[in-house]
Amino acid sequence: MSSHAKAAEKFIADRERTAWHDQALYFVREKRDKMAHDVPEWEALREMASQMKRHTISNLAYYLEMFERNATANGIHVHWAKDAEEHNRIVYDIIQKHGGKNLVKSKSMLAEECGLAPYLEERGINSIESDLGERIMQFMGTPPSHIVLPAIHVKREEVGKVFEKELHTEPGNSDPTYLTHAARAALRKIFLSADIAMTGVNFAVASSGAFVVCTNEGNADMGTSFPKVHIAIMGLEKVVPDYNALALYIRLLARSATGQPCTTYTSHYKKPVEGQEMHIVIVDNGRSDILAQEDHINMLKCIRCGSCINTCPVYRRTGGYSYSYFIPGPVGINLGMLKSPEKYSGNVSACSLCYSCSNVCPVKIDLAEQIYKWRQDLAPLHLADPSKKFMEKGLKFVMERPKLFYSAIKAGEIAEKMPRFVLYNKLDAWGIGRELPVFSKETFNAMWKKGKVK
Amino acid sequence: MKIGLFIPCYINAIYPNVGVASYKLLKSLGLDVDYPLDQTCCGQPMANGGFESDSAKLAEHMERQFEKFDYVVGPSASCVVFVKEHYPTLLHKEEHACISSRIYEICEFLHDVVKVDKLNAYFPHKVSIHNSCHGERLLHLSSPSELVIPRYSKLRDLLSLVKGIEVFEPKRVDECCGFGGMFSVEEAATSVCMGQDKIRDHMSTGAEYITGADSSCLMHMEGIIRREKLPIKTLHIVEILSQGL
Amino acid sequence: MSSKDDILAKIKANTHDEWKRPELAFTPLSYSEPLVQFEKILKAVGGNCILLENGQDINEIILKTYPDAKRIASNLPEITCATVNPDTLEDPRELDGTDVGIIRGEFGVLENGMIWINQHTRYKALFFISESLVILLDRNRLVNNMHEAYTQPDFDNFGYGCFISGPSKTADIEQALVIGAHGAKAVTVILV
Repeated sequence: MSSHAKAAEKFIADRERTAWHDQALYFVREKRDKMAHDVPEWEALREMASQMKRHTISNLAYYLEMFERNATANGIHVHWAKDAEEHNRIVYDIIQKHGGKNLVKSKSMLAEECGLAPYLEERGINSIESDLGERIMQFMGTPPSHIVLPAIHVKREEVGKVFEKELHTEPGNSDPTYLTHAARAALRKIFLSADIAMTGVNFAVASSGAFVVCTNEGNADMGTSFPKVHIAIMGLEKVVPDYNALALYIRLLARSATGQPCTTYTSHYKKPVEGQEMHIVIVDNGRSDILAQEDHINMLKCIRCGSCINTCPVYRRTGGYSYSYFIPGPVGINLGMLKSPEKYSGNVSACSLCYSCSNVCPVKIDLAEQIYKWRQDLAPLHLADPSKKFMEKGLKFVMERPKLFYSAIKAGEIAEKMPRFVLYNKLDAWGIGRELPVFSKETFNAMWKKGKVK
Repeated sequence: MKIGLFIPCYINAIYPNVGVASYKLLKSLGLDVDYPLDQTCCGQPMANGGFESDSAKLAEHMERQFEKFDYVVGPSASCVVFVKEHYPTLLHKEEHACISSRIYEICEFLHDVVKVDKLNAYFPHKVSIHNSCHGERLLHLSSPSELVIPRYSKLRDLLSLVKGIEVFEPKRVDECCGFGGMFSVEEAATSVCMGQDKIRDHMSTGAEYITGADSSCLMHMEGIIRREKLPIKTLHIVEILSQGL
Repeated sequence: MSSKDDILAKIKANTHDEWKRPELAFTPLSYSEPLVQFEKILKAVGGNCILLENGQDINEIILKTYPDAKRIASNLPEITCATVNPDTLEDPRELDGTDVGIIRGEFGVLENGMIWINQHTRYKALFFISESLVILLDRNRLVNNMHEAYTQPDFDNFGYGCFISGPSKTADIEQALVIGAHGAKAVTVILV
């Protein structure tokens, strides 16, 4: 059994929670549909956004250098990090230089990817998540289960309990408005006392040297409004050529992600204000390797909207923690495999090949098609499940021999074993919630031969 | 116009009536239909499981069997689309030079090639359409809910030719039922959960039958329906369209 | 070699085909009744829209909209109801406790209710820390969509700028929408 299948089985055992999780995410998917349908040129917009990304990726060095040149001219310090380790070190050095102790950060999947929080913690830096969902997860001591909706798997009563302990909210009060406003009050103090601000980057505009951060809560901007130092971190695929290109992604991002026409705040940082230092760390960490993989190069188009996750019927019923990579769903299956097939091949089974992900993707990444390709790669990499492989070989053997196929069906006792061949796995896997198909007394082939088909 | 009837392995073994209905339906429209003997499997299960190269011999077998036909028509969207999309690679041939360019799912064929506008079928029942993933998102039998394109459904168009029928669709109109070939056993818990949800959605329409163009999805759902003794049945769409023949 | 050189060298080595930049091949959303659409979309994103009538005074409207406001911050010359000019403060933290902040927007976007704020105040904190935010906007400066927004003359002439669309919000607890996460709990746009 794959690692995902094992974890999924546990998650699904709580049917009520599974249904609740599924519905919560499907609700987001429906909001996305409504927003998309309000834009008549939606499909053309997706197509152009996809092509613009492909163009950018095929000129990545050019645009990154342009971005660096312009950002530097704007007074931003630009750093380059080959991997997670170098990224963490650069961030830590900047913090050290300023004697920083308290870092307030907005949501960044790159920080998660690089393991920044534990790295800083080990070095005595107190780093506080300011996005509400991320803050909840930080209190709970567990990673986000979704890249846009970090606490989507947590029930309000559970948030209430955690806040009761951490923020001394009223016992038993799990009203989302009450809890959100309690977090607002508590984080206000943190914003005002932090000495370093960190944000991610949604888009870096090469032609201008500006970078864009999108939030609904205003936490990124609150965070950067007081400290003397702002560190922004970005994966190198975040660069876009110019504002005309940016327009495409701003139109698509929030509509796809949460079903809003835009995020509440779309902040453009170009120059540090007087007395402030602004740093940007451009991170590779395996991204430039993806460039060489024609089958998977489209993953570099990803704008991390999470719509493929929301629409995925497998993700919705199995939760983010069923995936071994820190990004779940179709995007996570693919990025995990690009990171390390050895470590993350256990997620490749988490796909029924329904192709809904490829249809919702705002930049038209062929997510399902790539998962199909990864499955083809697992056998040569010797990562295919041995029992699955055995059954598959049996099936192939029979199907390549029509006489054997039909005699197998004809012999009554083999008919019962047929699902082995047809379904290439243990009978009990089919039988956990389903009756076996009933084999016909006569195949169509036999009926035809006897002239019964008229 | 010579039509070769493509009966996928599991239909041959489990649902031969779907094959019979397909044949009768095509014949009733005055078409020249033949069935090449000893067909087995198109190779899709191996490929979706990650063993595409193992499908090559099966592809060659299929290609030979259907060589002399102008059209290849089969009652399984998923198998058809596999042949359509993957055979050129498996056979090392251009699409136009192999079976891929001549193969049709039967509803697609009736709707787009034969352009059927009249049927004699009478089926006084409530049915809920199962828009299978491969039928819809790969073969374009209906418009995917994710896309901002005009809505259409070839299955609904055909069913509307049947007298007495009442046609419904589930609330989540094209949510996957969780079959997914190898997925159904590799991720059995998730597969069954998806199937249960899908069946309940179909049932909430008040339908007596779930119908669609993919027997594989129907087989999966039928397994759950029988296990849970649910008051709904599955029926391949050709079995409705061929009523009275 | 520096990390930068290493990364760029690797990118270049791994880049094979050059893909052309696509042309805009569609007609983007546009609206025949800008004011109607703006009011509608602003409401949809949780904001409030007031159309300034002839003879009406902005200050009166603000005071009537926020009757309990004690601390009103603005550096705009026409805002006489301000109790504090934020630009005179030594530290942005002093803005904590601001009931209403009043700023000027450059232009609004009809497709999503965004208003472009170019930082013309000493501290951008004002935009976020104020419990309520009032944005004054020229009613003749409403553009249809983001393509038009980003091609406004002089757009790139900013140090910090932000598109704001309604009040701060979150749905991080069970997807229940809550207004007032960290930024303003209310946004009123006065179209002048």
